[in-house]
Amino acid sequence: MALSTHTTASGFLLPSIHSAPPFFTQQPNASTQSIVGEQWIRLILAYARHRNLFTLRIEDAETTGGDWDEILRNERIHRRLLPSHLSFLFSEMVSKNIAVYEPPKQTRSVLLYWRLPEEWAEVLHGWAISTAQLNTILTFYEITDPPIESPLTGIPVTILRRAITVLNKTGRAQIIGVADGEGVRFFAGT
Amino acid sequence: MGGNQSIPKVTPQDRAVLDLKLQRDKLKQYQKKLQVILDREHEIAKANLAANRKDRAVIALRRRKYQQGLLSKTDGQLEKLEQLVSTIEFSLIEVSVLHGLKQGNDVLKEIHKEMNIESVEKLLDESHEAQAYQREIDEMLSSHLTLDDEDAVQAELRELQAESLQKAETRQPSNLPSVPKAEPTDTVADAETGESEREHERVPVPA
Repeated sequence: MALSTHTTASGFLLPSIHSAPPFFTQQPNASTQSIVGEQWIRLILAYARHRNLFTLRIEDAETTGGDWDEILRNERIHRRLLPSHLSFLFSEMVSKNIAVYEPPKQTRSVLLYWRLPEEWAEVLHGWAISTAQLNTILTFYEITDPPIESPLTGIPVTILRRAITVLNKTGRAQIIGVADGEGVRFFAGT
Repeated sequence: MGGNQSIPKVTPQDRAVLDLKLQRDKLKQYQKKLQVILDREHEIAKANLAANRKDRAVIALRRRKYQQGLLSKTDGQLEKLEQLVSTIEFSLIEVSVLHGLKQGNDVLKEIHKEMNIESVEKLLDESHEAQAYQREIDEMLSSHLTLDDEDAVQAELRELQAESLQKAETRQPSNLPSVPKAEPTDTVADAETGESEREHERVPVPA
């Protein structure tokens, strides 16, 4: 049984463990399962970072045609990740603080933190400086959907909000609210 | 509180700018939606033509034309909004420039109060007087000296001038002898070259 890495259609390199059938089943032995779980979490976060995806849902394991098919399924060995296994992985990730249930108080979809809000705050501030938008009022829509591609395109509003609160504490951002919506202003800070 | 003072207050102008930007975003999203509808109608028209339903295709195309008109109208509105937003931002910058100018002006006025024209004139006059006084003192001191030694100094000067003239004259005769030297060296050189030629002739033979 030769395990090999495989490059997917989107250019993501799958690790060799992905070609091993036991990788997809939830192991009864706790120590093996801890290794399997760790590898899955690492794989999921790396893929999310590569494709700029933020949410993962149980139904991505139940149905085909989603964004996560390249990871959750391996057609070459006819294996797929079962929803129960994925649910177990969700609880693992939430307990390690690299994901949150979003919307809260349910367990079917998570928001992935392949980048912590503090790191997002730095990226946000750096983007504001590089596009010379310090001290100007920006709407959330302008940040998530800029006319020019940026590393912040498509970021969910909850992550954006958390990053802005982080910047607010260090005096580098300020949220402004009007009746219609919200905006944010960045400062150089210290 | 020393912490939060680095963040300036949110002024009503900021809120107005934010409002305008939100409206602009809404227009942009509306444009995106229109574009999606346009593409979909295009597909419907093509499908209908393929299925030979010309009338449905014409209706779809007519709808599409109408949406295109809406799109260009919203483009115009968007442009107006963006112009307004940039005018407001520019006027805010102008206000801060004016503020800076006013502050600079005030500082200049303060400096001028300390440095008014009469005191400057008085200062200049005083310094002129002091310089003239100093010149008088210098003349008195220097005249004191030269009244005694003026003649001796003049005599020394004449001596030096004569010395330098003599030096110049003695240097010239040393140049002259070099001219006759030119001829004798030519004949010596000829004799030397003649000998070397003969030597050259002799050299190959022993080889």
